Amino acid sequence: MDFDFSPEEQKFAEEVEAWLVENEDPVVMDHHRENFTQLSDTPERRAFMKKLAAKGWLGMSWPKEYGGQEIEGVYEFILNEALSKHAAPQIGKGVGIIGKTLIRHGSEFLKKKFLPLILDAEIEFAVGYSEPEAGSDAANMQLKAEKVDGGWMLNGQKMWTTSAHFADWYWVGARTDPEKPKHDGLSLFLVPMDHPGLEVQSLPTIGKDTTNQVFFNDVFVPDEYLVGQRGKGFQMISEALDLERFTMFTLSPIANRTEVLVDWVKKAKRDGEPLKDDPNVRRLIANIVTDTAVAKALSTRFVCAAKSGGKPPTVQSSQYKLFTTSLSQRVCKDALDIQGHEGTIMEGQDDAPLRGRFEGAYRATMNETVGGGSSEIQKNIIARRHLGLPKNF
Amino acid sequence: MDLELSEEQQMVIDMTRSMLEEYSTVDVVRVMEDDPKGYPDPLWKQMGELGLNGLLIPESYGGGGQTLLEGALVYEELGRAMAPVPHFVSCVMSANVLLAAGSDAQKQAWLPKIASGEAILTPAWLEPERGYGEAGVALEAKADGDGFVLTGRKRSVPYAGVATQLVVLARTKDGVDLFLVDPKAKGITSKQLLSQGREPHFQLDFAGVRVNASDRIGAPGSGWATWNDAMLQGIVLLAAQAIGGADRCLLETVAYSKERVQFDKPLGAFQALSHYMADASTRIDGGRVLVHEAAWNHAQGRSIARFAPMAKLFCCEAYRETTRVCAQIWGGVAFTIEYDQQMFFRRAKHLQLSWWDTPYLEGLIAADVLDG
Repeated sequence: MDFDFSPEEQKFAEEVEAWLVENEDPVVMDHHRENFTQLSDTPERRAFMKKLAAKGWLGMSWPKEYGGQEIEGVYEFILNEALSKHAAPQIGKGVGIIGKTLIRHGSEFLKKKFLPLILDAEIEFAVGYSEPEAGSDAANMQLKAEKVDGGWMLNGQKMWTTSAHFADWYWVGARTDPEKPKHDGLSLFLVPMDHPGLEVQSLPTIGKDTTNQVFFNDVFVPDEYLVGQRGKGFQMISEALDLERFTMFTLSPIANRTEVLVDWVKKAKRDGEPLKDDPNVRRLIANIVTDTAVAKALSTRFVCAAKSGGKPPTVQSSQYKLFTTSLSQRVCKDALDIQGHEGTIMEGQDDAPLRGRFEGAYRATMNETVGGGSSEIQKNIIARRHLGLPKNF
Repeated sequence: MDLELSEEQQMVIDMTRSMLEEYSTVDVVRVMEDDPKGYPDPLWKQMGELGLNGLLIPESYGGGGQTLLEGALVYEELGRAMAPVPHFVSCVMSANVLLAAGSDAQKQAWLPKIASGEAILTPAWLEPERGYGEAGVALEAKADGDGFVLTGRKRSVPYAGVATQLVVLARTKDGVDLFLVDPKAKGITSKQLLSQGREPHFQLDFAGVRVNASDRIGAPGSGWATWNDAMLQGIVLLAAQAIGGADRCLLETVAYSKERVQFDKPLGAFQALSHYMADASTRIDGGRVLVHEAAWNHAQGRSIARFAPMAKLFCCEAYRETTRVCAQIWGGVAFTIEYDQQMFFRRAKHLQLSWWDTPYLEGLIAADVLDG
């Protein structure tokens, strides 16, 4: 048993940390964006990702023949934890879901076209799985893909495509075989976001960023942009989630909120007395710190399971996501309870405690227990795969 | 980073578990509830023979010299089996106090006997209407000639009925001091008070009990620091014990929920119930890693001033909450004496209130985080 990173991993973590301190930039790195910090959605953030690419930090775990270094996924975990700790954009969809799926299932044409662009941070993707009738029931996608001469005609609607308004390409699931059972009738396509048949509509949220719905009106996709085998879309989507556990939900933003709260409580006063001497505040802080340590323990658990190279750490990842996202919300709630009436002052104003960090975070984290597999879906996974309970839906 | 157990560590777990499955069956545990002696001889003898009583005691005193991590692995099994043994009071708390502060003579006299199980030592710590902290120790030890005279009352002294020696926390002019006291000494009267966890707990009255100066453990006024340090190690093991109890309680409930049918479906097929179990498993699996991290840090020579209270705080609440939701799944039968669920339910709360409770642990963590 060993709770420390290996000397090589430690060295890499220090290298990344030093580089991030050197490249500190408030335009790129902004904790107030909370869970949206991971996106490279502005020119400055894209330029930052180019610098990461130049360091050779994109696609580290890819095979060498595709420009990777074939090193363990744990290095991508270390990198993403460091990036998210600094509120910088993270490596994610491109290197992870899309790159790895193309490497395993993509044609030579798709690999040649997209993999170099991903490694050079020249491309941003949007991922389109969710639809009005396919939320937690992801396999229920209805977006129609009809076979036409030389390609496919896509019609329908996607929901919650966070990156649709800035991405270059759309990684999208569609129903190619409606007569087959729902899990076997889906396929994956790559569609340029500037296709005239795509209509992106912004969906403002109570968080600080918007998400989007996307409408497909006769979007023609040539045959060579079908990813992998027709009908294997859902299997590839599930497999990619399992491959991508390392980079999916980072702990650093939550650990950062806990740290920020603790530092604030240490200095704050109420009625002239140190706030930290309030017994209620002390109890809340003790429990937040403890639960943050448990979240880290659960993170250690799934990283170690992933490192072991056995079966994908689906259960460990679900337990981590379940516990950590609910903790994330609790930290914000407790922080506002500690701040009292001053907690209501909306984010972005200098008069608010911590410029309203927790007022904003309370709103921004609302969706964490829903997006990326809701808490209830995680519990279903744990119940079935870990405890061996019968299917319950 | 790696959470794998070594072959030796896995052997310690397997050996302990299979021994406990034979010697600490539910029937044995039930018989021991409220028993004034409180432990079965065959089980205690087995533990001694397998080296479990001396597990954490250095080899030079006849022990196994293992780290707190091996201790945590064994304690998860003791918790799983609800093993009724004076191991914690004797082989952990008393042994650690002696190791840290005892004179050579005291160590030589007691540690080998503790390691073999031949002697049982137990701390007399808590007092009526007083708390878990240093200020809670009020029993007076008044200097008198070449010794001390002890006067006061102690509560919740486990296994006092069979103890070879008591380790008494008392207040001297120097602060808190620890004394070795013969439980049969003149002036001590004892009364068993039944406890929620059905461990043999005693109330002890000290009416002018004489002890020699050489029975003090450590330098004058050093008692609380010694005790506090022993507690930090001890509560990591109790956190492991909580995980063991919670894990078994959950696994038995999962098995039951696959068999018991209502509305033509097994209980486990109802999300309202399976989600209780998924939550419980998450807390147990997370708590276990936290315990291992705390124990591992101690084995590396790092401070566990924050880790140890976090581990007990979280794991004892995980145990308590697990027994609550499991009772919900079993339904009415969990409320009956006949079913075993009530045994976990009572023990979980008992353990949470013992050896530093939730507010005290929260206070320790808050002090470490906020006052540093």
